Amino acid sequence: MSEAKRSSSSVPEPAPQPVPGEGGIRAWARDRLGWDDLAHIAAKKRVPVHRYTLFYYLGGMALFLFLVQVATGILLLLYYRPSSAEAFESIQYVMADVPFGWLIRSIHSWGANLFVGVVFAHLASVFFLKAYRPPREMTWVTGAVLLFLALGFGFSGYLLPWNTLAFFATKVGTDVPAQIPGIGHLLSRILRGGSDVSGATLSRFYGIHVAILPAVTTLILGAHLLLVQRHGMSVPRSVEKRTNRTMPFVPDFLMRDMVGWLAAVGLLAALAAFFPWELGVKADPFASAPAGIRPEWYFLWMFQGLKYLPSKIAGIPGETLGVLFFGALAAALVAVPWLDRRGKRGIAVAAVLVLIAAAVLTVLALLPVPSATKP
Amino acid sequence: MRDRLLVLALLVAAASSARAQSPPPKSPPAVNGCIECHTALDDPRITPPAKLFADDVHAKAGFTCVFCHGGDARQEDQEKAHDPAKGFIGKPTPRQIPELCGKCHSDPALMKQYDPSQRVDQLAEYRTSGHGKMLAEGDTTVAQCASCHGAHGIQPVKDSRSPVSPTKVAQTCNHCHGDAALMAAHKLPSDPYEKWSRSVHYRARVERGDLSAPTCNSCHGNHGAAPPQVGSVANVCGTCHVTFADQFKLSPHWEPFKDMGLPGCVTCHENHEIVKPSEAFLAEGEQSKCSSCHEADSAGARAAAAMRADLVGLDGEIRQATRLVDRAAEAGMEVSRVHFDLVAATNALTKARSQVHLFRPSAVHAAVAEGLTVARKAAAGGQARLKERDFRRRGLFVSLGLILVTIVALVVKIREGGRSSREPGE
Repeated sequence: MSEAKRSSSSVPEPAPQPVPGEGGIRAWARDRLGWDDLAHIAAKKRVPVHRYTLFYYLGGMALFLFLVQVATGILLLLYYRPSSAEAFESIQYVMADVPFGWLIRSIHSWGANLFVGVVFAHLASVFFLKAYRPPREMTWVTGAVLLFLALGFGFSGYLLPWNTLAFFATKVGTDVPAQIPGIGHLLSRILRGGSDVSGATLSRFYGIHVAILPAVTTLILGAHLLLVQRHGMSVPRSVEKRTNRTMPFVPDFLMRDMVGWLAAVGLLAALAAFFPWELGVKADPFASAPAGIRPEWYFLWMFQGLKYLPSKIAGIPGETLGVLFFGALAAALVAVPWLDRRGKRGIAVAAVLVLIAAAVLTVLALLPVPSATKP
Repeated sequence: MRDRLLVLALLVAAASSARAQSPPPKSPPAVNGCIECHTALDDPRITPPAKLFADDVHAKAGFTCVFCHGGDARQEDQEKAHDPAKGFIGKPTPRQIPELCGKCHSDPALMKQYDPSQRVDQLAEYRTSGHGKMLAEGDTTVAQCASCHGAHGIQPVKDSRSPVSPTKVAQTCNHCHGDAALMAAHKLPSDPYEKWSRSVHYRARVERGDLSAPTCNSCHGNHGAAPPQVGSVANVCGTCHVTFADQFKLSPHWEPFKDMGLPGCVTCHENHEIVKPSEAFLAEGEQSKCSSCHEADSAGARAAAAMRADLVGLDGEIRQATRLVDRAAEAGMEVSRVHFDLVAATNALTKARSQVHLFRPSAVHAAVAEGLTVARKAAAGGQARLKERDFRRRGLFVSLGLILVTIVALVVKIREGGRSSREPGE
């Protein structure tokens, strides 16, 4: 009998019979939440075992670190005040007076960097193991979008403490979209909430960081996880025929996952205790930009790349071309499953070249700036 | 007819000679024969001034050569152009220059047309200056307007090209006052610039670019330049160091200094070589300022020692607190509020040092006591943050221990279950 028919019937439904040996709560949850179905899916899920299995843990690690960010972010929300007059002081209060506030804020800041790093590593492993092959194209696309969202979280969160470094780095960062021909200046104005970085930008970035990005991420992440569940783990071609061993996701893979998660918690706690995330000096919009302004490490290669571009290339502003190139690179990343032609190594070579260039630019950006006052 | 022509000629001549006395035209004359001839002659004596004048502030305002030198700029013939009947004076003598400049610069109605904020008392001031008085007595080696401002190519004082612009005025004064032979003739020292360049004022002005720090004219005046008199030194220093000057006037030193003819501030701080004061000024020894008047074990020496002990004590406590706070900051602790206390303690030390000018140990002691309270609070804040650092590290090791135990337990569990649960895939 279908559900609709049953509900329309006037005959009272018989009470569910308790399973012998099961507690009342478990039985209650089983009947109302479909616990058995979930347990069945978990029990059925298996993970392939081969020499690249280690890379499967990166996805779980990224998810775990994201949840750490959500948890610590919610705790910070309780004290943070999103205005240019109070933002810095509220973080100062969190760091100095709120019990374990320093721990939560430092874990949030260090965790953000670790999260972006792990997302990069996860994406790279999926790329080089060609896990985006059909039918997993959309898993790749949602993953690439999640990387952009992670970068968006990093960029918007960087400004929130309203310190000098963040203020000027955001000034530079929000200037980048202005280079896009046609709509650039409008985009930059929308991002800043005005012609320059101000308290309006802070409110905007706060909204983006705690509402817009989490909402979008929840949807995309849900789709990503659903697709992973739907298609299972991809096995690299090179080991496809050599192994057919698997292990159950619950508890074997999950326990291994947990070892990594616990190690990550330990690492974050150690970083927070020995290197609490600095707060710096409160932003002064009227002060001149201090030396050594640079964005977070994951944007450094773009920042440095734009600096090296000549002012004009074939009559077009160099920065405009640079921004368009980064846009094309992002589009190419999303389109990887369709750009990869079977039997050709072109895309892998291109990716390695981009990675080497990005690494060199990042190192160059990290090198100390030679003093201009030296004789 | 001849009478009419004579009258006309006389009118033209009168108008021409009157130009040196009257305000300039609204627009420069179409022909300035002086520049044309003096440039074309290519004479190293007369050509450079003519070229320089093109960039002169007066030239830009429409003044021409004849306003200072007289003569007739419209004449091509040199004799006619340089006709004394038309007011030609040639190169003004040093004694003529102040009066010549003052002709316009002392005329409020005229100056208002060009720069309403411009002062018009320069000539009056100059006459009261050492330079002005000596010039009046016939000494033409002293400075007059052109010595400092230049004769041609004069720039506004605010223009950095001007020799009297704020960053160049000291070198300009030193041009004469550093000339040993010239100064010896006037029985003046030739080392004021050298001494000033070792002073705190020089460091502030030249090294740190603080234009509010004094240069020569800040203390001596500019047009009325003269050495401050014994009785007015405290007033001169007090224009900037207001508190010190007020305190000094309330101190037991004020009357005796006046009676003995001692020049106030300069007695202890020197005039040009004003070095950073230190507690050593109050101690016995080479740097002591008190011991030159107060014998050892006298009431004055004891008062100096008491003030010094208080200041050294507070300075030591602040240094100790700073070390603690710095250590906490290096460990990544949030110390901004403790920094406020350190700043307050440092301010109290500054206040206590300024109280020295009252020469009353009780006043210094009160300010020091205030500073000690905040310095100790800062030190306690630094200590508390270092304790917090240790607590965090202990907590971390406990947490890492628990994490490690859990990881080991998981690894054991994985090893136990792994062998049985792995099975070939479907």
